[in-house]
Amino acid sequence: MRLNSSGSTKTTFADKLVLLFFIALSLSSFFFVNEVLPQGSEVRIEVAGELKYTLPLSDDRIISVEGPMGTTIIEVKNKRVRVVKSPCPNKICLHQDWIERGAVVCLPNKVLVTITGPQQKKEIDGITG
Amino acid sequence: MESRDRYRIALLSAYALALHGFEALIPSPVPWLRLGLSNIITLVTLFFYGLKPALMVTMIRVLLGSLLLGTFLGPAFFLSLGGGLAGTLSMGIITALFPRVFSMMGVSMIGAFFHNVAQLVIAYVLFVQRIEGILAVAPFLIAAGTLTGAVNGVASRYLINEIQKQHSPALSPTEPI
Repeated sequence: MRLNSSGSTKTTFADKLVLLFFIALSLSSFFFVNEVLPQGSEVRIEVAGELKYTLPLSDDRIISVEGPMGTTIIEVKNKRVRVVKSPCPNKICLHQDWIERGAVVCLPNKVLVTITGPQQKKEIDGITG
Repeated sequence: MESRDRYRIALLSAYALALHGFEALIPSPVPWLRLGLSNIITLVTLFFYGLKPALMVTMIRVLLGSLLLGTFLGPAFFLSLGGGLAGTLSMGIITALFPRVFSMMGVSMIGAFFHNVAQLVIAYVLFVQRIEGILAVAPFLIAAGTLTGAVNGVASRYLINEIQKQHSPALSPTEPI
Protein backbone atom coordinates (compact mmCIF):
# COMPACT_ATOMS: atom_id res chain seq x y z
CA MET A 1 0.00 0.00 0.00
CA ARG A 2 1.15 3.49 -0.73
CA LEU A 3 0.67 6.73 1.09
CA ASN A 4 -1.86 8.91 -0.57
CA SER A 5 -2.31 12.63 -0.48
CA SER A 6 -6.08 12.31 -0.26
CA GLY A 7 -5.88 10.42 3.02
CA SER A 8 -8.67 8.07 2.01
CA THR A 9 -6.55 5.06 1.28
CA LYS A 10 -5.10 4.39 4.70
CA THR A 11 -6.96 3.01 7.71
CA THR A 12 -7.70 5.90 10.03
CA PHE A 13 -8.44 6.01 13.74
CA ALA A 14 -12.08 6.76 12.88
CA ASP A 15 -12.19 3.58 10.76
CA LYS A 16 -11.13 1.52 13.76
CA LEU A 17 -13.74 3.24 15.92
CA VAL A 18 -16.43 2.45 13.33
CA LEU A 19 -15.28 -1.19 13.20
CA LEU A 20 -15.35 -1.50 17.00
CA PHE A 21 -18.71 0.25 17.18
CA PHE A 22 -20.36 -2.10 14.69
CA ILE A 23 -18.84 -5.20 16.31
CA ALA A 24 -20.18 -4.01 19.68
CA LEU A 25 -23.54 -3.17 18.10
CA SER A 26 -23.96 -6.58 16.49
CA LEU A 27 -22.93 -8.42 19.66
CA SER A 28 -25.22 -6.37 21.89
CA SER A 29 -28.12 -6.58 19.44
CA PHE A 30 -27.63 -10.35 19.34
CA PHE A 31 -28.04 -10.56 23.13
CA PHE A 32 -30.86 -8.02 23.09
CA VAL A 33 -32.81 -10.02 20.49
CA ASN A 34 -32.24 -13.21 22.47
CA GLU A 35 -33.79 -11.50 25.49
CA VAL A 36 -36.71 -10.01 23.59
CA LEU A 37 -37.61 -13.14 21.63
CA PRO A 38 -38.64 -15.66 24.25
CA GLN A 39 -39.27 -19.30 23.59
CA GLY A 40 -42.89 -19.62 22.57
CA SER A 41 -45.31 -22.44 22.75
CA GLU A 42 -47.37 -21.89 19.64
CA VAL A 43 -46.58 -22.14 15.93
CA ARG A 44 -48.40 -19.70 13.67
CA ILE A 45 -48.31 -20.21 9.93
CA GLU A 46 -49.35 -17.30 7.75
CA VAL A 47 -49.60 -17.15 3.97
CA ALA A 48 -49.81 -13.73 2.27
CA GLY A 49 -50.61 -12.09 5.61
CA GLU A 50 -53.47 -14.47 6.35
CA LEU A 51 -53.28 -16.78 9.37
CA LYS A 52 -53.66 -20.36 8.15
CA TYR A 53 -52.69 -22.50 11.14
CA THR A 54 -52.07 -22.13 14.84
CA LEU A 55 -50.50 -25.27 16.26
CA PRO A 56 -49.00 -26.25 19.59
CA LEU A 57 -45.21 -26.45 19.43
CA SER A 58 -45.26 -29.66 21.45
CA ASP A 59 -47.08 -31.73 18.80
CA ASP A 60 -44.86 -33.25 16.14
CA ARG A 61 -46.40 -32.95 12.71
CA ILE A 62 -45.86 -31.97 9.09
CA ILE A 63 -48.02 -29.33 7.41
CA SER A 64 -48.14 -28.16 3.83
CA VAL A 65 -49.45 -24.73 2.82
CA GLU A 66 -50.13 -23.25 -0.61
CA GLY A 67 -48.43 -19.96 -1.46
CA PRO A 68 -48.39 -18.00 -4.72
CA MET A 69 -45.42 -20.06 -5.99
CA GLY A 70 -46.53 -23.50 -4.81
CA THR A 71 -46.46 -25.77 -1.80
CA THR A 72 -44.31 -25.07 1.25
CA ILE A 73 -43.90 -27.99 3.66
CA ILE A 74 -43.29 -27.16 7.32
CA GLU A 75 -42.24 -29.65 10.00
CA VAL A 76 -42.78 -29.34 13.75
CA LYS A 77 -40.68 -31.75 15.80
CA ASN A 78 -39.16 -31.80 19.30
CA LYS A 79 -40.44 -28.27 20.01
CA ARG A 80 -38.67 -26.98 16.94
CA VAL A 81 -39.88 -25.86 13.53
CA ARG A 82 -38.32 -25.90 10.09
CA VAL A 83 -39.28 -25.53 6.47
CA VAL A 84 -38.73 -28.88 4.75
CA LYS A 85 -39.62 -27.98 1.19
CA SER A 86 -40.20 -24.69 -0.57
CA PRO A 87 -40.72 -23.68 -4.20
CA CYS A 88 -38.86 -20.40 -3.76
CA PRO A 89 -35.70 -19.84 -5.84
CA ASN A 90 -33.31 -18.75 -3.09
CA LYS A 91 -34.22 -21.31 -0.35
CA ILE A 92 -33.45 -18.88 2.45
CA CYS A 93 -36.20 -20.48 4.54
CA LEU A 94 -34.67 -23.94 4.09
CA HIS A 95 -31.23 -22.76 5.14
CA GLN A 96 -32.58 -21.34 8.38
CA ASP A 97 -33.17 -24.97 9.35
CA TRP A 98 -34.59 -25.73 12.83
CA ILE A 99 -35.71 -22.78 14.93
CA GLU A 100 -36.84 -22.77 18.53
CA ARG A 101 -37.89 -19.15 18.62
CA GLY A 102 -38.44 -16.21 16.30
CA ALA A 103 -39.59 -16.84 12.78
CA VAL A 104 -38.90 -18.42 9.42
CA VAL A 105 -39.83 -16.23 6.51
CA CYS A 106 -40.15 -17.16 2.85
CA LEU A 107 -40.62 -13.91 0.96
CA PRO A 108 -41.14 -15.32 -2.56
CA ASN A 109 -43.87 -17.75 -1.45
CA LYS A 110 -45.22 -15.28 1.18
CA VAL A 111 -45.05 -17.90 3.92
CA LEU A 112 -44.38 -16.77 7.47
CA VAL A 113 -43.86 -19.23 10.32
CA THR A 114 -43.57 -17.72 13.79
CA ILE A 115 -43.21 -19.26 17.21
CA THR A 116 -45.25 -17.29 19.73
CA GLY A 117 -47.01 -18.02 22.94
CA PRO A 118 -48.42 -16.70 26.18
CA GLN A 119 -44.89 -16.41 27.60
CA GLN A 120 -44.20 -13.54 25.27
CA LYS A 121 -46.88 -11.28 26.78
CA LYS A 122 -45.61 -12.01 30.27
CA GLU A 123 -42.11 -11.06 29.32
CA ILE A 124 -43.13 -7.71 27.87
CA ASP A 125 -45.26 -6.93 30.95
CA GLY A 126 -42.30 -7.86 33.09
CA ILE A 127 -40.11 -5.33 31.30
CA THR A 128 -42.59 -2.46 31.30
CA GLY A 129 -43.72 -3.16 34.88
CA MET B 1 -21.70 16.92 -16.79
CA GLU B 2 -19.06 16.42 -19.45
CA SER B 3 -19.48 13.65 -21.99
CA ARG B 4 -16.20 12.19 -20.75
CA ASP B 5 -17.75 11.84 -17.27
CA ARG B 6 -20.89 10.29 -18.74
CA TYR B 7 -18.72 7.78 -20.52
CA ARG B 8 -16.89 6.97 -17.30
CA ILE B 9 -20.13 6.55 -15.35
CA ALA B 10 -21.36 4.14 -18.02
CA LEU B 11 -18.09 2.23 -17.74
CA LEU B 12 -18.24 2.13 -13.93
CA SER B 13 -21.87 0.99 -14.09
CA ALA B 14 -20.83 -1.82 -16.39
CA TYR B 15 -18.12 -2.89 -13.92
CA ALA B 16 -20.62 -2.76 -11.05
CA LEU B 17 -23.11 -4.77 -13.09
CA ALA B 18 -20.49 -7.39 -13.93
CA LEU B 19 -19.59 -7.80 -10.24
CA HIS B 20 -23.29 -7.88 -9.34
CA GLY B 21 -23.91 -10.68 -11.85
CA PHE B 22 -20.74 -12.53 -10.82
CA GLU B 23 -21.82 -12.40 -7.18
CA ALA B 24 -25.18 -13.94 -8.03
CA LEU B 25 -23.28 -16.97 -9.37
CA ILE B 26 -21.33 -17.58 -6.15
CA PRO B 27 -22.99 -20.27 -4.04
CA SER B 28 -23.41 -19.03 -0.49
CA PRO B 29 -23.96 -21.13 2.63
CA VAL B 30 -26.40 -18.50 3.90
CA PRO B 31 -28.28 -16.99 0.96
CA TRP B 32 -29.18 -13.68 2.61
CA LEU B 33 -25.49 -13.05 3.12
CA ARG B 34 -24.41 -11.06 0.08
CA LEU B 35 -20.85 -9.94 -0.44
CA GLY B 36 -21.87 -6.64 -2.01
CA LEU B 37 -18.92 -6.69 -4.40
CA SER B 38 -20.50 -4.08 -6.66
CA ASN B 39 -20.20 -1.67 -3.74
CA ILE B 40 -16.46 -1.57 -4.50
CA ILE B 41 -17.35 0.25 -7.72
CA THR B 42 -19.81 2.53 -5.89
CA LEU B 43 -17.01 3.48 -3.48
CA VAL B 44 -14.58 4.21 -6.32
CA THR B 45 -17.22 6.35 -8.07
CA LEU B 46 -17.94 8.19 -4.83
CA PHE B 47 -14.24 8.83 -4.28
CA PHE B 48 -13.52 10.23 -7.75
CA TYR B 49 -16.85 11.79 -8.76
CA GLY B 50 -18.98 12.36 -5.67
CA LEU B 51 -22.47 11.41 -4.54
CA LYS B 52 -24.57 12.06 -7.64
CA PRO B 53 -22.58 9.86 -10.04
CA ALA B 54 -22.32 7.19 -7.30
CA LEU B 55 -26.12 7.22 -6.99
CA MET B 56 -26.41 6.94 -10.79
CA VAL B 57 -24.06 3.96 -10.87
CA THR B 58 -26.03 2.29 -8.07
CA MET B 59 -29.39 2.89 -9.76
CA ILE B 60 -28.14 1.62 -13.14
CA ARG B 61 -26.63 -1.44 -11.47
CA VAL B 62 -29.83 -2.26 -9.52
CA LEU B 63 -32.16 -1.71 -12.49
CA LEU B 64 -30.11 -3.55 -15.11
CA GLY B 65 -29.01 -6.21 -12.61
CA SER B 66 -32.62 -7.03 -11.77
CA LEU B 67 -33.51 -7.18 -15.46
CA LEU B 68 -30.58 -9.51 -16.17
CA LEU B 69 -31.25 -11.76 -13.18
CA GLY B 70 -35.02 -11.73 -13.65
CA THR B 71 -35.87 -10.18 -10.29
CA PHE B 72 -37.24 -6.88 -11.65
CA LEU B 73 -40.14 -5.61 -9.46
CA GLY B 74 -39.90 -8.74 -7.28
CA PRO B 75 -39.17 -8.66 -3.52
CA ALA B 76 -35.42 -8.89 -4.15
CA PHE B 77 -35.59 -5.86 -6.46
CA PHE B 78 -37.16 -3.57 -3.85
CA LEU B 79 -34.74 -4.78 -1.20
CA SER B 80 -31.83 -4.22 -3.56
CA LEU B 81 -33.07 -0.77 -4.63
CA GLY B 82 -33.76 0.49 -1.10
CA GLY B 83 -30.54 -0.97 0.25
CA GLY B 84 -28.49 0.45 -2.61
CA LEU B 85 -29.97 3.94 -2.28
CA ALA B 86 -29.63 4.03 1.52
CA GLY B 87 -26.08 2.67 1.41
CA THR B 88 -24.89 5.08 -1.28
CA LEU B 89 -26.65 8.09 0.28
CA SER B 90 -25.20 7.37 3.72
CA MET B 91 -21.71 6.96 2.27
CA GLY B 92 -22.05 10.18 0.27
CA ILE B 93 -23.26 12.11 3.31
CA ILE B 94 -20.48 10.71 5.51
CA THR B 95 -17.75 11.64 3.02
CA ALA B 96 -19.27 15.12 2.53
CA LEU B 97 -19.69 15.82 6.25
CA PHE B 98 -16.38 14.35 7.40
CA PRO B 99 -13.91 14.50 4.55
CA ARG B 100 -10.69 12.58 5.28
CA VAL B 101 -11.89 11.40 8.71
CA PHE B 102 -12.67 7.93 7.40
CA SER B 103 -10.87 5.91 4.78
CA MET B 104 -13.01 4.05 2.26
CA MET B 105 -12.98 1.12 4.69
CA GLY B 106 -14.91 3.09 7.33
CA VAL B 107 -17.18 4.64 4.71
CA SER B 108 -17.94 1.19 3.31
CA MET B 109 -18.82 -0.25 6.75
CA ILE B 110 -21.19 2.65 7.41
CA GLY B 111 -22.74 2.16 3.97
CA ALA B 112 -23.17 -1.58 4.59
CA PHE B 113 -24.90 -0.84 7.90
CA PHE B 114 -27.43 1.56 6.39
CA HIS B 115 -27.90 -0.78 3.43
CA ASN B 116 -28.91 -3.54 5.84
CA VAL B 117 -31.07 -1.28 8.00
CA ALA B 118 -32.95 -0.07 4.92
CA GLN B 119 -33.45 -3.65 3.75
CA LEU B 120 -34.81 -4.70 7.14
CA VAL B 121 -37.20 -1.72 7.17
CA ILE B 122 -38.38 -2.46 3.61
CA ALA B 123 -38.80 -6.16 4.41
CA TYR B 124 -40.85 -5.18 7.45
CA VAL B 125 -43.04 -2.60 5.69
CA LEU B 126 -43.63 -4.43 2.41
CA PHE B 127 -43.39 -8.14 3.15
CA VAL B 128 -43.30 -9.22 6.78
CA GLN B 129 -45.41 -7.25 9.21
CA ARG B 130 -43.82 -9.10 12.11
CA ILE B 131 -41.09 -7.47 14.12
CA GLU B 132 -39.88 -10.83 15.52
CA GLY B 133 -38.70 -12.05 12.14
CA ILE B 134 -36.88 -8.80 11.46
CA LEU B 135 -35.25 -8.72 14.88
CA ALA B 136 -34.10 -12.31 14.57
CA VAL B 137 -31.94 -11.65 11.49
CA ALA B 138 -30.83 -8.09 12.35
CA PRO B 139 -27.76 -8.96 14.47
CA PHE B 140 -26.46 -11.41 11.86
CA LEU B 141 -26.96 -8.88 9.09
CA ILE B 142 -25.16 -6.14 11.03
CA ALA B 143 -22.23 -8.46 11.81
CA ALA B 144 -22.01 -9.77 8.23
CA GLY B 145 -22.37 -6.25 6.81
CA THR B 146 -19.51 -4.98 8.95
CA LEU B 147 -17.24 -7.80 7.75
CA THR B 148 -18.10 -7.57 4.04
CA GLY B 149 -18.16 -3.76 4.25
CA ALA B 150 -14.63 -3.69 5.66
CA VAL B 151 -13.32 -6.13 3.02
CA ASN B 152 -14.99 -4.22 0.16
CA GLY B 153 -13.70 -0.94 1.55
CA VAL B 154 -10.11 -2.21 1.61
CA ALA B 155 -10.55 -3.62 -1.92
CA SER B 156 -11.79 -0.23 -3.14
CA ARG B 157 -8.75 1.46 -1.56
CA TYR B 158 -6.42 -0.75 -3.58
CA LEU B 159 -8.42 0.02 -6.72
CA ILE B 160 -8.37 3.76 -6.00
CA ASN B 161 -4.59 3.61 -5.45
CA GLU B 162 -4.07 1.82 -8.74
CA ILE B 163 -6.27 4.25 -10.67
CA GLN B 164 -4.46 7.24 -9.16
CA LYS B 165 -1.07 5.74 -9.96
CA GLN B 166 -2.07 5.25 -13.59
CA HIS B 167 -3.78 8.56 -14.16
CA SER B 168 -1.77 11.06 -12.15
CA PRO B 169 1.67 9.83 -11.13
CA ALA B 170 2.33 13.15 -9.45
CA LEU B 171 -0.43 12.50 -6.92
CA SER B 172 0.96 9.27 -5.54
CA PRO B 173 4.30 9.33 -3.77
CA THR B 174 6.34 6.24 -4.44
CA GLU B 175 7.58 5.34 -0.98
CA PRO B 176 5.92 2.15 0.24
CA ILE B 177 4.59 1.89 3.78
